Amino acid sequence: MMTTRKISFVICFAAGIFGLVQYFSPHPAISSVYRSLLDWVQIIFAFALLVGALSVLRMHAGKVMKRDRHWVYSAVAVASLIAMTAAGFAGGADRGSLFAWLFDNVQVPMQSTVFALLAFFVASAAYRGFRMRNLEAGILLVTALLIMLARIPIGELATDWLPRSADWVLNVPSMSAKRALLIGIGLGSVTTALRVILGIERSAIGG
Amino acid sequence: MRLLSLDRRIIYILVLLAVGVPLLFRVPLPVKVGVETRKVHSAIDNIPHGSYVMLSFDIEASSLPEVKPLAEATVRHCFQRDLRIIGLALFSEGAAIGYNLLVQVADEMGKVYGSDYIYLGFRPQYVSAILGMGESIEDVFPLDYLNNDWREYPGYASLGNYDDVALVISIADGSLPTYWVEYAGSRYNQKIAACLTAAMTTSYYPYTVSGQLVGMVSGLKGAAEYETMLGYSGGGHRGMLSQSSGHALIILLVIVANVAELRKRK
Repeated sequence: MMTTRKISFVICFAAGIFGLVQYFSPHPAISSVYRSLLDWVQIIFAFALLVGALSVLRMHAGKVMKRDRHWVYSAVAVASLIAMTAAGFAGGADRGSLFAWLFDNVQVPMQSTVFALLAFFVASAAYRGFRMRNLEAGILLVTALLIMLARIPIGELATDWLPRSADWVLNVPSMSAKRALLIGIGLGSVTTALRVILGIERSAIGG
Repeated sequence: MRLLSLDRRIIYILVLLAVGVPLLFRVPLPVKVGVETRKVHSAIDNIPHGSYVMLSFDIEASSLPEVKPLAEATVRHCFQRDLRIIGLALFSEGAAIGYNLLVQVADEMGKVYGSDYIYLGFRPQYVSAILGMGESIEDVFPLDYLNNDWREYPGYASLGNYDDVALVISIADGSLPTYWVEYAGSRYNQKIAACLTAAMTTSYYPYTVSGQLVGMVSGLKGAAEYETMLGYSGGGHRGMLSQSSGHALIILLVIVANVAELRKRK
């Protein structure tokens, strides 16, 4: 009798090997299976979203029922989730619908406001933390000031030297570091994928 | 040293003034157009009239103030060139944002839904959505955002997969352009450009230099550059004075803090 974990491993192994093989084969049968697999991934993910939404609803509804600390926030979360879902199902998402109105006039301003607060924290943090305490911190400081100055019209108008220096920083030292990171991430991804396909790494399937 | 322990509320007020007050004034700042913006502009300029261009709104509502001028300029350019736009979103929040923006610009420019643009809406799991569209766009999006069969629209009946799409433009505030490059670019040889928030710019230089991205327009500055190339003044230009004074304030604060620190050490 195969355990659930073994079944999961077999599916994972078969899907992984198929994913590798199909990349190199233009055969119509393989292509057809590949398209079906892509559909399955989308269907599974759509159900995962549903499970996620229900889980959020259950957690917050529980907090409201038990009158936990900050239960009012949970009540707002539950009410918002239900309201947006009902508005979407009832009137669609086209312009002029209740869903679009709620999105444009509640969600967008709220999220933009929270994100905009970053400007205040960044300024305060830069004032307190950006100090030239040693050579490395000095290089970081000068580079940051250079990029900030070069990325606004005033800096560009002041001298050609500023944008050219900023471009050099971005195209040479910054890019070489970024490329090294990308290559490292790529190799790491290949290794992890192989470990998952071969069943060495089983945390994803409860191993 | 009093300066070193400056009350953070004073900094907050200074930031509010530096960013907020310039928004009240319309002072046009001259903007020099950068290389990356030119690349995107000329990539769109070189696409034959009537070709399909895919605009993917891979954004969240939080970054809308920065991304909207970028997206607006790109959409205007595509419509000016009589390109047929296929709008979609790979982030759920981007679905409503992209639709509103497309309809708004289309209405201004007298473009018609179904013949000049369509909007396919949102699909979860962006990797499989990107790969799936390489096989068949209809498989991934059987219906459009308004629940209509988009194959019935006169301008889009011949749309099959990436082979029919001249350029994909990912309007993003995160890592989605990477997935477009890795899956649509590598596997299907799809040309890809990106419109990004300024914070993401450095992450994508390796892709533009290698040619995996045909170019990128980034941040409010990029939007202002694009508007300059299109010959109009929009949200990008409006934000330039505010962004300039905001950057100048941070630079000033950092200099003041370091001078105070040096004096304290002495």
